[in-house]
Amino acid sequence: MKNLKTFWAKILIFLSVMGPGIITANVDNDAGGITTYSVAGAHFGYALIWSFIPIIIALVIIQEMCSRMAVVTGKGLADLIREEFGVRITFYAMTVLVFSNIFNTISEFAGIAASAELFGISKYLLVPLCAIFVWWLIVKGTYKSVEKVFLVACLFYVCYIISGFLSKPDWNLIAKSSIHPNFQFDKAYIFMLIGVVGTTIAPWMQFYQQSSVVEKGIKIENYKYSRLDVIIGAFVVNIIAIFIIIVCANTLFVNGIRIETAKDAALALKPLAGQYCFYLFAFGLLNASVFSACILPLSTAYSVCEGMGWEIGVNRTFKEAPQFYSLYTAIIVIGAAVILIPGVKLVPIMLISQATNGILLPFVLIFMLLLVNNKRLMGKHVNSKFYNFCAILIIVSMILLSLFLFFTVFIK
Amino acid sequence: MNISAAKMFIFFSELMGKPVFDKDSRRIGEIYDLVVKPSQVYPISDGLVIRKGFPNRKYSIVNWLDIEKIDPEGAVIKIQGSALNYFEIHDDKKELTLRRDILDQQVVDTHNHKVIRVNDIQLLIVDHALMIAHVDIGGRGLLRRMGFLKSVDLIVKSFNPKAKYLKNEHLISWKHIQPLTINPVSMTIKIDLPQKNLTNIPAADLGDIFLDLNIIHQIALFKSLNLANKTKIFTNIDFKTQRLLLEESSDQEISELLNNIASDEATDFLEKLPRDKTKHILNLIENKYSKRLSQLLGYSGDSAGGLMTTEYIAIAKDTKVFAALNQIKERKFKSEPAQFIYIIDEANHLINTTNLRRLIMAGPDEPIQNSAFPKTYFVHLDSSVKEVAYLMEKYKYFAIPVVDENNVLQGIITVDDILSQLIAFAWRRLKRIKIIQKT
Repeated sequence: MKNLKTFWAKILIFLSVMGPGIITANVDNDAGGITTYSVAGAHFGYALIWSFIPIIIALVIIQEMCSRMAVVTGKGLADLIREEFGVRITFYAMTVLVFSNIFNTISEFAGIAASAELFGISKYLLVPLCAIFVWWLIVKGTYKSVEKVFLVACLFYVCYIISGFLSKPDWNLIAKSSIHPNFQFDKAYIFMLIGVVGTTIAPWMQFYQQSSVVEKGIKIENYKYSRLDVIIGAFVVNIIAIFIIIVCANTLFVNGIRIETAKDAALALKPLAGQYCFYLFAFGLLNASVFSACILPLSTAYSVCEGMGWEIGVNRTFKEAPQFYSLYTAIIVIGAAVILIPGVKLVPIMLISQATNGILLPFVLIFMLLLVNNKRLMGKHVNSKFYNFCAILIIVSMILLSLFLFFTVFIK
Repeated sequence: MNISAAKMFIFFSELMGKPVFDKDSRRIGEIYDLVVKPSQVYPISDGLVIRKGFPNRKYSIVNWLDIEKIDPEGAVIKIQGSALNYFEIHDDKKELTLRRDILDQQVVDTHNHKVIRVNDIQLLIVDHALMIAHVDIGGRGLLRRMGFLKSVDLIVKSFNPKAKYLKNEHLISWKHIQPLTINPVSMTIKIDLPQKNLTNIPAADLGDIFLDLNIIHQIALFKSLNLANKTKIFTNIDFKTQRLLLEESSDQEISELLNNIASDEATDFLEKLPRDKTKHILNLIENKYSKRLSQLLGYSGDSAGGLMTTEYIAIAKDTKVFAALNQIKERKFKSEPAQFIYIIDEANHLINTTNLRRLIMAGPDEPIQNSAFPKTYFVHLDSSVKEVAYLMEKYKYFAIPVVDENNVLQGIITVDDILSQLIAFAWRRLKRIKIIQKT
């Protein structure tokens, strides 16, 4: 009886602590994510599946460091960078963040435009409408109540899993490809690999995750539940990613279809939805894009103002928090405006934005690593040697990949 | 010691990172931090932290008396560099240092009632030392730290030599600043400002400031405050934070705190707790008070019984006016207003109501009965919020007495309790669409 009681108590604590990891994971599966995984599957078949085992490990390690810092210090990542490294470094770090998030926001609006194409609506109508909707949602403080709707709509990803089974993939081959790294020294392959890593472990996620854990006010005694939240989130995001790749490999790669527009990517859902796959895909893409388009500009403005010491918050007026509102509005306006340029190619934009994430990721990780190993801040909760080894390995391999990409693009 | 006399003020950022020379003019490191000691209102420099080496950094503290000269060119010390002791980390637990504890950190501005982040620190040069004069929280401070100030100034000047921006320093006097550095041993905030500064902040604003802090600072600050400030904060924050603070407090602290909170505020909090927790807390509180609280907890939250407080002034009906006034003077109240005085008989039956003005206007030897209102209005324990609100509005009362079925006085409801209920009621529909959230 007593065991049962503590079991339920534990479940209750977990329910109260969970959220940040799982929400971050779902925002992570944004337009850029869906597109990158689709293209990875369609163009390279199973050749990139192996990368998901190291990616899951890396994602758990990185997100876990963020939650741990949040719980131990009670501060956001931008706060900590400012307090430990001063204004100048904060300024550069924030510039990197704003830069990468503008790219990401552009890719969210690209996702909205792509779904407009599929629905047969003009992007010149849907993109501005969504931009205004997103802006209004946050500024009027309505976002929190809509968040649940977004999360429920994320069940759309289950379609990929069902579609994955329906397409009857060769599971043996999949298992083999996931254990045997199939690395190719080829520009397109490396670009894709950086994109896949970059979209799964994006720089903004670390800032967002840490702030949400801080806001939850989780205490160190309950930290283990928060870690579970991170692990579940990491698995959810990657399992969906793997299924998107499997489905696309099975439906597109084998037939030699390359993804040039969103229409091609939607074909992946044909085994499940038949001729309706375009609408299903368009719906999923729209939800993912709008969800992330809400979070990204907000989390950027939040982090930057936190770091620079400006007033934050949607419960303040424009006059009280001018930098916050300007930044927030500017990111949305830029994101939407780029997509409205006539003749702009949507799929490449989404891919480039995810690769930018991958290239900028090591910089954020270096800061995190320095902070999480600071004894004065973290006390006995600093990283273990093994943890540091893994983290450094991630940083070094990301830098090597980026350098390699750089050389293949600019030297050859 | 020589500090260039041309300037009266110097920014800490102008000193940071500048070279330090020893008495033989050898470069021994760079200025890293400034140790200050409290002195009256403005803390005064007490030591200089020097940093050397890269990537293996080492730190050393030089006593202020051993400093020959310090200015934006750098510092010169009176002793030999080899005589200094170096440490691996700069982490002196006792002292307040500018770079570690104030610069770039969040502090409370007790004048504007806000939590702010320090961009730079302005030091006053007083013959042999540096005194913290102001903290800089403006954009110019940010630019100065980034090293862009001169170039940006030049550009702005070339466009508009009289631009407002050039003179727009945003400085706040140190006397209004409460740092939030946490002592790692006691886990409390080093409060070197008199707590009076915090006491002067209106309770509601103090609660808002408190909610702007992160959870670790909240706990540390709460632990460091005196009972009066604790009470003020506790009654002005949301339930989640209240609960968190109590979980971090010892039993004795809890009982002190709750004994000092008006009964209506206490029941507001207690009725939201799980039953076993409520019981535990009630056991900690003074016997008499806890009995009253558990009785109040028995009433439904939106009935008169659930809203009322048991702090009120009741005076026996035969008392003379001067004696009544003396009794009122002797009473100590936790928070409720005391304009109304309730006249009761030996069995606590409510007879009449009077107020302070009426009492003062009456002759000192008259019985208080003579000063009473011609008619007394009251509500019952089970009256609804709407009935109470209606009566109070109709007769323009700030407080209304609550009686049981035998007309025995049980408590009073004040206008602020009703107002918060009505606001919640009026906004419930609005709230469904508009959840005011922090992020």
